Amino acid sequence: MIVRLAAALVAALALAAPAAGCTHPRTSLAYLEGQIMCPTCHTTLDQSESPAALRIEAEISKRIAQCWTADQIKAELVRNFGAGILAAPPRKGFDLLAWWLPIAGVILGAGLLAFGVWRWSRGRDGPEPPPGEGSGLDPESERRLDEALARFE
Amino acid sequence: MARGLKLSGQAIALVLVAGLLGLLVWKLTHQSHPPKIGGPAPVFSLKRIDGAGAVDLASLRGKPVVLNFWASWCVPCKSEAAALEAAYRRYKSQGVVFLGIDYHDVTGDARTFLSRHGVTYTTLQDGSGMVGDRYGLTGVPETYFVDRQGRLVGFHIAGPITDSKLAAEFKQGVEAALNS
Repeated sequence: MIVRLAAALVAALALAAPAAGCTHPRTSLAYLEGQIMCPTCHTTLDQSESPAALRIEAEISKRIAQCWTADQIKAELVRNFGAGILAAPPRKGFDLLAWWLPIAGVILGAGLLAFGVWRWSRGRDGPEPPPGEGSGLDPESERRLDEALARFE
Repeated sequence: MARGLKLSGQAIALVLVAGLLGLLVWKLTHQSHPPKIGGPAPVFSLKRIDGAGAVDLASLRGKPVVLNFWASWCVPCKSEAAALEAAYRRYKSQGVVFLGIDYHDVTGDARTFLSRHGVTYTTLQDGSGMVGDRYGLTGVPETYFVDRQGRLVGFHIAGPITDSKLAAEFKQGVEAALNS
């Protein structure tokens, strides 16, 4: 009888230990559900009520209760569903390009825009053409135009 | 100097436009279309859920195959599980291979489902949904039939085979896979 009681006590302690406290700050479903996609509806879990999303949330809750870290849970989901389950690509390896290319694009675009504005403003500040030059008329036409204008004066 | 800069700018713009055009062409040529009945069944290799190793559809050439896409979170899949298992037991002596393909599912849930519903045929994991997408799934359960030459035959059943109309199509589909 005493042996049975002791065994039950040990089993209860073993089961209760993970639930009672983790050796690290426990992650939360609210933290993770914005970072994980629902594979059938292509939105994040927090925006989905689909059966697949609810099952994944239940799986995450189970792992949180077992003191898994957010990274461990995400790694497990990637093993199960592939990298597409993550709402954002990992910040390492080839996937880093997905983070840096948009930033590089914005910087390049801003640079090109600044250069264009600089060129445009330089063009406007340039010297005025001397009178009689650049009107696009040949001398004969210009003479006749001057005569016609003189008649109106 | 200014002419050089202008030319460089034009070259960069041209490269960007060509890149975007290339992406568009790639997207258009790589769009997945549902396979046609009578055409080749898209091949795949997937890990087993119910055991170790993987199964390659191409290696089953010469055998009629029933492909059933399902998920543990799918309610109609529960209703058809017993009928599918019964069909497997009925047809396995004639050499028909049944493959369950678990689509977008938590593996632990899938194993619980298999044990609860007494499913004994081979079940594969399609967690990313890549194979299901290649077959143009609109949901689960869906069933395809592959003949000995690796062609899709009979019907593409979208729904549980417990439905009376779909049950008849299922039977005809297995017969088509066996006899063509």
